[in-house]
Amino acid sequence: MDMDWDFDDEGVQKLTSPGEVITSATQFMRGHGTFVEDNDVVASLSGTIERVNKLVSVRALRTRYHGEVGDLVVGRITEVQAARWKVDVNGHQDALLRLSSVNLPGGVQRRKLESDELEMRKFFEEGDLLVAEVQPTHGDGALNLHTRSLKYGKLRNGQLVTVSPVLIRRRNSHFCSLPCGVDLILGMNGYIWIAKHVAENQKEGEEGFDAEAVYSNKNDDIDMETRAAISRVSNLIHVFARRSIPITDAILAEAYDWAVQQETSPSDLLRADVGDTMVAMVTALA
Amino acid sequence: MPREAEPSINQRDFVFSAVQQGIRVDGRTPLQARQIAICFGNELGWVECSLGKTRVIAQVTATVTRPSPERPFEGILLITTEFSPMASSAYETGRPSEEEVTISRMLEKTIRRSEALDREALCILTGKKVWALRLTLHFLSDEGDLLDCASVAAITALRHFRKPDVEVVGDEVTIFSPEERAPVPLSLHHQPMCVSFAFLGPANVLVVDPTHLEEQLANGTMSISLNAQREICVLQKAGGVALPADEVMRAVNIAVFRVRELSDIVSRALEEDSKTRVIEVR
Amino acid sequence: MSRFEPLNAGNLRSDGRRPLELRSFSAQLTTHPSADGSASVSHGLTQVTACVYGPREAKNRGQTMHDRALVNVEVSVAPWAGEMRRQRARGDKRTLEFAASIKATFEPVIQTTLYPRSEIHIHIHVLQLDGGLLQASINATTLALIDAGIPMLDYVSSLSAGLYLTTAMLDLTSIEESDLPSVTVAVLPRSGKVTLVSMETRLHVDRFEEMFKLAMEGGKVLRGEMDRIVRERTAALARQMEGGGGTKEEDKMDTDDL
Repeated sequence: MDMDWDFDDEGVQKLTSPGEVITSATQFMRGHGTFVEDNDVVASLSGTIERVNKLVSVRALRTRYHGEVGDLVVGRITEVQAARWKVDVNGHQDALLRLSSVNLPGGVQRRKLESDELEMRKFFEEGDLLVAEVQPTHGDGALNLHTRSLKYGKLRNGQLVTVSPVLIRRRNSHFCSLPCGVDLILGMNGYIWIAKHVAENQKEGEEGFDAEAVYSNKNDDIDMETRAAISRVSNLIHVFARRSIPITDAILAEAYDWAVQQETSPSDLLRADVGDTMVAMVTALA
Repeated sequence: MPREAEPSINQRDFVFSAVQQGIRVDGRTPLQARQIAICFGNELGWVECSLGKTRVIAQVTATVTRPSPERPFEGILLITTEFSPMASSAYETGRPSEEEVTISRMLEKTIRRSEALDREALCILTGKKVWALRLTLHFLSDEGDLLDCASVAAITALRHFRKPDVEVVGDEVTIFSPEERAPVPLSLHHQPMCVSFAFLGPANVLVVDPTHLEEQLANGTMSISLNAQREICVLQKAGGVALPADEVMRAVNIAVFRVRELSDIVSRALEEDSKTRVIEVR
Repeated sequence: MSRFEPLNAGNLRSDGRRPLELRSFSAQLTTHPSADGSASVSHGLTQVTACVYGPREAKNRGQTMHDRALVNVEVSVAPWAGEMRRQRARGDKRTLEFAASIKATFEPVIQTTLYPRSEIHIHIHVLQLDGGLLQASINATTLALIDAGIPMLDYVSSLSAGLYLTTAMLDLTSIEESDLPSVTVAVLPRSGKVTLVSMETRLHVDRFEEMFKLAMEGGKVLRGEMDRIVRERTAALARQMEGGGGTKEEDKMDTDDL
């Protein structure tokens, strides 16, 4: 079995363009980003060729979010429909959040009532931001979300930053806490939530699930120091995104430390020269 | 107005398998066109053309007006197309649909851009008075291939029309009514007409004069405007299935043949009409 | 006023090119990072930018199709693009026809069946016009779609050609376009088949074939150029994303928004 066509001499992954024949379809199966014509596997995207045993696929380096079951996503409510919400997750279509997939006040296992359907805006309204997990799709191709965990639900006390989904790699936990007092949620869809840190013991307990607090629309008071920290982190993310560098909490923590050491103000981080220096330093340490 | 319902999968398979075997759903062979019937109204320049069940009316009217300042010695030709829900429930008055824009642009390019009409002959008094012709096309019924039908109606109307005779003495312009002097035909440089094709089925079989159903199911379409002197005036294949160059050339050659046929039909119809119509002054 | 000479005694065109020589071609990808995909293309002095949004939730739910994505094309020509300043009305028939032909060209090439009920919106901005509008728009759209990571069956490569007496010429400027019979073709280079043919000038049938076939060959050559630019860009992106370090000056995106 020859492997020449997906790795070139230096072991760097090979690139391809739309319309290019990758290999023969009689020996390999086609995956995403390819199609079969006349017994050839032909690429339909420009990107890197990936091969897993007999499956050949092409991964584009710039694309919208392609949902997988179990992904953690940050989304924004765009519409309230009958017994469900439509959520913008930067994908091909808006995702669906069913009323039966959210936590209702009065206990996690409460049955859905008629009155709940009529009062959906008590829970989520158009424009609200939330963090949810992707459920198996039994719909028509659109993603299904659920917030049936106390970690998920409406977001507050923070700021949204959008980057390309390819810059977020799958990890064990997408909830991170930076040492500077900032909580980070790295949505797989490229939406990142930066918020004021919430201490563990202050989070809601199982019993007495407090609907008021969970679906509340009121932000807490946030002090200037936390706000400066949030805006530094947000600018750092922009700097990395512009240079197409994958975002992880480790790299952000290091960059933050560097920024504090250099005593740069949050807005200075957006300057091109400062950004370059920061990236060079941080990636050298990595 | 909701979009027209797409043909069912059964219909599509039936049409494709039929054309694959060389016969279309209405019994024609792929290169066979429907019957054309041309009839004339009472007024000069009023023509109704029907291609099978597709019907288009073309009407030419003339008025005298000031020429445009950039072209003081040329007449004006205005081509308007009127689509109404009478032709098909898919059309609405008001905003033109994509198909309407395509058809009216093709007619513009075929007749106006190719300079079929001699506009300098429409000049009466340079810089002051010229003839402004208005060619209006009414689409009455859409059973496929509106463009071909419209182009035949348009050219026939232009050939049929007579403008009032004028006499210019110095700066004095006298326009004679049809009772005083016989009206004069327009001067046409050439007579371009459109031939449309559709490509059906997985083998992309080429068919001439597609019906409405065939147009909806086609993988691609192409329209060619030619005149009887074998000159291509417009060739439009906008997207649709990709074809090898030879297939395009084959279509061009078929179109050449068809336009010659159409020109003969038009000439014969005009001749028939002139026998019964009275144009001279008594 | 000197009469325009398409081909002078030394067989050179008015801008010094040989008949089959193309104008200088350049392209940049991701010129608008806020769009899902964007590209800017220049053929000589003609410059066109295309922005692609999608596949995304359709704005107009009524138009979506249950089994494929909807492709929308919008074209805007800048008032300063041509020789004289001209504000074009929206919904101008010529512009609508232009947009419709671009939509019809790309619909069968994009794998729309992968994105049911969504829409792909293509916006084309014409910045500078010196002939070859259709060809530049199609090439810019191809590159923008590739930049957006939207799967296509092949590049769509487009070129214009004209005929002066018996000599065929490729890639016409606007003064050549207004004087000579010309045709614009768009090809799928891998199969060599043509997907768009547009001719609006009178030409005898016998002389058409040569010009037409030359334009197709030229389109295939142009594909090589476009592919080179795409690969460079993809390689740079891959480098950045793998290493995460050692970003070169040219790897960074050009815009300085924020």
